[in-house]
Amino acid sequence: MILTLLLLLAVGQSLSPEAAQHMQAGIAAEKERKPELAVEEFRKVTQLEPNSAEGFLHLGQAYMESHDFGSAIAPLKRALNIDPDLLPAHQLLGYSLLAQGYAAEAIPHLERTKDKAALGIAQIETGQLPEAVTNLQAALASHPNDPDLLYYLGRASGLLSKQSIDRLIATYPDSARVHQAMGENYFVLRRMPDAEKEYRQALRLRPDIPEVHLELGEVYAGAFQWAKAEEEFRAETKSQPGNAEAAYRLGSALLEQGKVREARSELVRADRLLPDMPETLYSLGKAASLDGDPAAAEKAWTKLLSIEKETPLAAQAHFGLASLYRKQGKTADAQREMQEFQRLQQSSNQAQDPAKPDSTH
Amino acid sequence: MLNILLRVSCLLILGVWLAALAAPVFDVNLPHGLDFTLQNSPTAQKYLIETMPGGVALLDYNNDGLLDIFLVNGGRLTSPMKTPENFDRHDPRYWNRLYRQNKDGSFTDVTEQAGLAEAGDGNYGMGVAVGDYDNDGFPDLYVTSYGKNILYHNNGDGTFTDVTAKAGVAAGGWSVSAGFFDYNNDGKLDLFVTRYMEWDTKHSKDCGGNYHTYCPPEEFPATTNILYHNNGDGTFTDVSQRSGIAAKKGRALGVAFADYDGDGFTDVFVANDGMQQYLFHNNGNGTFTEVGLEAGAALSEDGRRLSGMGVVFQDYDNDGRPDVIVTELPREIYGVYHNEGNGTFTYRSLETGLGALSSGSSGWGVGLEDFDNDGWKDLFVAQGHVLDNVESIDPSLHYLELPLLAMNHNGRFDRVDSGSTVPVAGRGAAFGDLNNDGWQDLVMTDLGGHPQIFLNRHDSKAHWLTISLRGTRSNRDGFGARVQVNGQTRFATSSGSYLSASDKRLHFGLGAAERAKVDIVWPSGIHQSLNDVPADQFLEVREPEKP
Repeated sequence: MILTLLLLLAVGQSLSPEAAQHMQAGIAAEKERKPELAVEEFRKVTQLEPNSAEGFLHLGQAYMESHDFGSAIAPLKRALNIDPDLLPAHQLLGYSLLAQGYAAEAIPHLERTKDKAALGIAQIETGQLPEAVTNLQAALASHPNDPDLLYYLGRASGLLSKQSIDRLIATYPDSARVHQAMGENYFVLRRMPDAEKEYRQALRLRPDIPEVHLELGEVYAGAFQWAKAEEEFRAETKSQPGNAEAAYRLGSALLEQGKVREARSELVRADRLLPDMPETLYSLGKAASLDGDPAAAEKAWTKLLSIEKETPLAAQAHFGLASLYRKQGKTADAQREMQEFQRLQQSSNQAQDPAKPDSTH
Repeated sequence: MLNILLRVSCLLILGVWLAALAAPVFDVNLPHGLDFTLQNSPTAQKYLIETMPGGVALLDYNNDGLLDIFLVNGGRLTSPMKTPENFDRHDPRYWNRLYRQNKDGSFTDVTEQAGLAEAGDGNYGMGVAVGDYDNDGFPDLYVTSYGKNILYHNNGDGTFTDVTAKAGVAAGGWSVSAGFFDYNNDGKLDLFVTRYMEWDTKHSKDCGGNYHTYCPPEEFPATTNILYHNNGDGTFTDVSQRSGIAAKKGRALGVAFADYDGDGFTDVFVANDGMQQYLFHNNGNGTFTEVGLEAGAALSEDGRRLSGMGVVFQDYDNDGRPDVIVTELPREIYGVYHNEGNGTFTYRSLETGLGALSSGSSGWGVGLEDFDNDGWKDLFVAQGHVLDNVESIDPSLHYLELPLLAMNHNGRFDRVDSGSTVPVAGRGAAFGDLNNDGWQDLVMTDLGGHPQIFLNRHDSKAHWLTISLRGTRSNRDGFGARVQVNGQTRFATSSGSYLSASDKRLHFGLGAAERAKVDIVWPSGIHQSLNDVPADQFLEVREPEKP
């Protein structure tokens, strides 16, 4: 992109014949990926034409091509002294400054060029996190799967979250929200007793606080304490009857304890609140199957398979259907589903470790 | 109407009776004279064999009417091991041990005088199988190892002779659980040996990055199990290939036997670690077909592979058909495969309550025994994680655990206090009535520690019946017989659990019933019925010579 900008700029500039010759030689060197030679040629241009913004711009760009961002800064600044509106110089200077860690100095130049990706990255460094998130989201809209942008957006969001929580802790150190945040932190660190303690304290301070019962239930579920998990999920569904996740988690905890009918009822509710969630559909099929309702199980799993076809959950649905058809004596259907299950399992195995042969047969 | 009233009143009486029964109380202790320590010798190398022993057998080796205890030891490991591997099994600390039970409930170590001290320096001990392979009336021992296995013939005079070479059953590689059964109903016990994987100390590795821990089984190649056919002259023939058993490689740890489809031939369930479980259907012509997947007994309900370790193949819901329970690692609940009676199984772990009871535990030795004599088989599982540093990896898991004792209430299991208060690394478990009081006891091994003896001290008035089979046309132990007592069914075997062998006697709790109806289908096909049998006795049933 940089090269394109400069090539465009090269058109229409008036230079002395000798300077123009060096300019052409520099551009040719760049094309041949000989940045050191390009630097030499563009340096001669700037010596012959000390007021050529174009010459300094090319020189800065040549330094950047050779990854010498520090040396690129001076000629790019000189280019902008000569022509303050030279947008490519703003952009390259912004990049060079950012690459050298001068984020604050880079920002005005990047703002001029409306380069939201680079601007967002610079704003992370200067702590302008809400602006960074906005700019990176805008950049991602244009390049949805760019790994660097995804990384920086994640980082900016994380830092923004931390910033907000730090402020919360500083302002209201013993509030329910602080204990909730601490609980979440411990949960991530897998320090479950600490997480439990913090969530409990949050609930003591503010019994109606949303989400905390759900999170506490997750702590218990992670430690296989299903009865306690059920209690917390149930409390969450009581305070937030419209929360589909709480209904799903409650259904799952009930299922783990073999309380099939109750589980099914909650999972039906979860599916009604937030239709077509694959996880809910899978568990719903399982609960219906255990409850002796193969038609409902088949319906849930078939629906899941219309949404997901190649995922581990899809494999599980095929396996469930195979078992269900086998019980019904539908041998051909059972075999078909089992084949699909095995196909997905095999591709999943290969994806996990393509080098390892299947040594089980 | 009268029938309905009678049924209702019977149910009420039964309900009152059941409510009156308290949970069983085990006295957990180490009887005088039982001074065994299971030496697994953990090293910094994290050799996988370290975490796998050891087996225990309950057998009456001298036919004095009291159960004796045989315990398999590991061996000494160095860090690193040199080749050829030497586990110092000549050192008494690493001997397997036979403890003879005395009349007062104490035990005497008779290892040396019984001729069982030599286990071979190249063998790191694993498990034990018990069966009277030569039908002479005395139980023989088969000890498995990483290395070579040993068949000890019981001479009937309190001594044993190593007859491995003559019998041709040394196997090799890494053998784990084994069991005697009569796969072709010829009246002679054959031998099934599971093997874990292709592994040796030279090719060991550790996993877990900075945690340095034992590797999962997938890191090593699968291997075959072995089926030895008993020739009837003291020798065996390896028929693994011919029978189709070797057609399926796996990572076996547990094995159990029962005739799941009622065709008169004993089938084999193999618990595999980290992969699908195997159900070898006995075709009745000397061959087996692995049908686990088609039969619905290979994976979890969600189609997930299981870390199968121990297995029991008995009827938990009194429908007359043998079901399968497989013990596993945490986050995989113990698998309950209910036998539907049409050659297929349904995964019923959640309905039976085992989801909540087992999802955070690691299970090994397992048994379905009626500990409270109420007529329903209860569940006992020896527990403890594979990784000795699992808490540092996942604080919700534990290397040392209490065992699981779950009482069976009409097919649903509820945890009760086993009586054990000290968490251990439980591994093997064998079941039997140690003190002949009509209440089932058990022995559990503890990796690196002493065995735990669980003596059932229940004082309720529930009745019981314990049956010893004496085969004539069938194998003398009667292994493979289907025995039904007052609507309950047991399949005669000493195998199942993990690395262990249980009392061959068949125990039935009778609840309030003072009399029993006994039906036996012997492996020979002979059907024998006994009516109006008084409860609370040890009954020997001899197979009729003629149908």
